[in-house]
Amino acid sequence: MILVNYLAAVALFGTGLYVLVTRRNLIKIVMGLSLMEASTYLFMVSLAYRAGSTAPVLLSPPAGKTAKQLAHGNVADPVLQNFCLTAVVIGVAVTAVFLSVAVRVAQHYRTLDADRMRTMRG
Amino acid sequence: MSGQALASLLPLPVALPIAGAVAAPLLARLVHRRLAVIAGLVALGGAALILLLQAPSVFGGLVRAHYLGLWTPVHGRALGIAFAADPFGLIFALTSAFIGAVLLLYTLSELGGLGPRELGGYACLFQLLVAALIGAALTADLFNLFVWFEVAALASYGLTAFLLERPVALEAGFKILALTTLASFAVFIGAGLLYATAGALNYAQLHDALARHLTTPDLIALGLLVAGFATKAGLVPFHGWLADVHTATSGPVSALFSGLMYAFGIVAVARLAFQVFAVNGIPVLGLLLTVGVVSALLGAIMALAQDDLKRLLAYDTISQMGILAIGLGTGAAPGIAGAVYHLVNHALFKALLFLCAGAILHRTGLTKLSDMGGLARRMPVVAVAFVIGAASIAGIPPLNGYVSLSLIHTGLLDGQQYLPFTLMQVAQVITIAALGKAAWLAFFRPRAGDYPPLESLRPGMVAGLASLAGCCVVFGVLPQFFLDSVMAPAAAGLLHPARYASGVLTGLARLPKLHVPFDYLSPEELGLVVACAVAGAALGWAYVRVREPAPVRLLRAAHTGSVNDYATYAVAGMLAVIAVLTLT
Repeated sequence: MILVNYLAAVALFGTGLYVLVTRRNLIKIVMGLSLMEASTYLFMVSLAYRAGSTAPVLLSPPAGKTAKQLAHGNVADPVLQNFCLTAVVIGVAVTAVFLSVAVRVAQHYRTLDADRMRTMRG
Repeated sequence: MSGQALASLLPLPVALPIAGAVAAPLLARLVHRRLAVIAGLVALGGAALILLLQAPSVFGGLVRAHYLGLWTPVHGRALGIAFAADPFGLIFALTSAFIGAVLLLYTLSELGGLGPRELGGYACLFQLLVAALIGAALTADLFNLFVWFEVAALASYGLTAFLLERPVALEAGFKILALTTLASFAVFIGAGLLYATAGALNYAQLHDALARHLTTPDLIALGLLVAGFATKAGLVPFHGWLADVHTATSGPVSALFSGLMYAFGIVAVARLAFQVFAVNGIPVLGLLLTVGVVSALLGAIMALAQDDLKRLLAYDTISQMGILAIGLGTGAAPGIAGAVYHLVNHALFKALLFLCAGAILHRTGLTKLSDMGGLARRMPVVAVAFVIGAASIAGIPPLNGYVSLSLIHTGLLDGQQYLPFTLMQVAQVITIAALGKAAWLAFFRPRAGDYPPLESLRPGMVAGLASLAGCCVVFGVLPQFFLDSVMAPAAAGLLHPARYASGVLTGLARLPKLHVPFDYLSPEELGLVVACAVAGAALGWAYVRVREPAPVRLLRAAHTGSVNDYATYAVAGMLAVIAVLTLT
């Protein structure tokens, strides 16, 4: 049942958003954003899903299927799966930058509390 | 050169800076540190040259497309990534390449003393950001736009947190990271949702599909995309990170961010609103108008309240992005042409002002206006440049701001949008007060103690300031030329989405001619300028003498500096945008 996937994606996104908005620990904020990111992948892969479809590997049709059936859309949507692949790569880079900033913040400010790291305001 | 050959050159303006970015750290470490920046200058110059080759035909009204890897559309369906040069995208790409090169030259002069590691990394990130801006201007593919968004975002994170020895850079770095990542999720989900319902990523195919059939998920996707790109543009309420970023960065980086990177968001929103969702009955223009007015007012008020020169300019950037959104929101030819004009003007004068602020900081070490004063005598070149930039924003003829602002006024008045027009004038008065205050406090006010001997400006810095200030004047004195040859075709491209779509799909299309008249000596406009300038000067004079009014204090208190609060504002704004688009 694909509805479960959507619900799970929404729940994950909501959890991440809750963490981002309420937690002050920088590492937790990064974790919240990672959760939201994971939920977008789940959402995209679920959007790509079609009932009874096969993986979008179009070298030769699987047993019992003709090439025509594949051409008529009995595969999962490869474009959305590519979305995810691209976003995963970008997400890794962003998380790395995030964590390196968090480490530097910990070294400079001796804290990970976002509330004690707001010298600029107003 | 034949049209086909010209089209096949389109990916090069992006590829050259990316190649330069890859080479920069190696050149800096293995050969000579300054070579990294010089290679960057060559790459950006090459990109600008190739874009200039496209200019005559594209500004003549052609839309030209190239599909990467020659995956051209079959039966009107595109699988490949399209790069399309239309007048609107090309003028943004050209502005990015030229101002990027000027800023790199300035960097070479001012920060040339950095170590090889630092200078190499700086040149790399700088070129990546410019490449992303050019890519975003030329692409005609929604997912490709997301990729350029992320490239620009990653480069901007690095540039923000570049001066690691300054703790504020880390603080600002974390804020821009959190808010832009949130925005990237919105753009990502929006693009995926739009693909799932309309079955395409190509702007042209999306335009055709949405014109045939528009569903609620499409509108949700539009809301997410607009909110995401508005975060990049720093529109209210997505703007929390913006001022902090400028407090932390050096002059040329601030100039790059403020002059060019935020305009990325506006360009993307304009493409979505006019060329992809070109369907009547979507309240997206009204939304732009509202967000624009709120941003223009709030940015101006916050700018007036600042004592830190770079924060003042940063909040003014929010205000100017609001003006751009207002121009687009008019939906009429003069307003849109004015917005495109203002986009170029803003890149020129805001880059100029941030370079001035950076030069002051670099030489005196001062950031607060209350500590400065009397700099006109000590740094006359910077003072002249700052006054030219400030007068351009104030819309004083014969400088460029006058032209674009009066065009936007015409667009608003033609559409009988009197309330936004009035509020825009209020914002303009406050903006003039803020910049007048800054110029007075920094340059002309007598100062008690004298400065220690100040290092003089280097030739590259003077060249940078002079070229930007010169462009401010040129764009102000030749309005009809730029309007006819650049801005009106750009507005035509936005107002005739079907032509743009056919150009993207078939590789070539001609846009209809559009004439936007401009009356330089219109008595109403000139009277308005004088009235705004007098009112602004009076307000600025009064503001430095009174205690901070309570509403301003409340507004400042709302900018708590907490990343959680800024994320909350952005999420609330996102929900509001989606609600407006789906419920009305």
